[in-house]
Amino acid sequence: MKRVDKRVEVKLSLPVVAPLLDIIRDLSSELEKSLAAPQALHDMDQEFRGAWIGELLQGQREDLRGLLSLFNGQFFSEGVVAFDEKNAEPIVRACTAVRLHLRERRLKALGDEALETGDVDMGGLDEPVRKAFMCYLFLATVQELIIQHLDSTIIGR
Amino acid sequence: MPEPRTHTRPEARPSAVVQADDAWRVVVLNDPVNLMSYVVMVFKKVLGFNETKARKHMLEVHEQGRSVVWTGVRETAEAHVFTLQQWHLTAVLEPDETR
Repeated sequence: MKRVDKRVEVKLSLPVVAPLLDIIRDLSSELEKSLAAPQALHDMDQEFRGAWIGELLQGQREDLRGLLSLFNGQFFSEGVVAFDEKNAEPIVRACTAVRLHLRERRLKALGDEALETGDVDMGGLDEPVRKAFMCYLFLATVQELIIQHLDSTIIGR
Repeated sequence: MPEPRTHTRPEARPSAVVQADDAWRVVVLNDPVNLMSYVVMVFKKVLGFNETKARKHMLEVHEQGRSVVWTGVRETAEAHVFTLQQWHLTAVLEPDETR
């Protein structure tokens, strides 16, 4: 019997999401060289530590490429993005990487409690922070969609 | 699109001394960014937890700031820490001093 891969297509609002892509691209570029979540690795000799970080960084880069490739021609022509068994896992991780980096680089002013609860007065934010927070929420929504619809697929690998 | 990666930590720890009998803990620390559903999913995938156990540890991280998610030999503990870090959770290795 042929196995049918699970696939979820989502239609996004192009005018809302397209402006957020610049932020995602900028942060992805910054994340080429540094980990989104710096880890405490003090109990490790230097050589092993370097290999450890190098492996994490390589994986992070591949995941981010997966996220960016989501916004292809089909997205710009129809506003549609598609998640499947192959891209779900890298994308869900990449969303986390960008969200962590957003917190670090663009959303410090909001404070962690506001980020955790989402209780933010959008109207009171400066435009760059508002846009960064929109991006933060958008990526969380992508993650929720994937986890809700493809969780068993991801776990099953 | 990248191929699924194998979740293995880097090979060999040249100068570290590994005591085979020592027990080590894998501890996950809280962060304000990761979604609860995401943390539950990662625990299920990486550590093989069922939904109930994954939610219990996720809530422990959320409410107490940390949760010991695995205890055992250092090599396996390191592999778990590495994979959890690939998923961007803050995971650390600690010697289990209760043994």
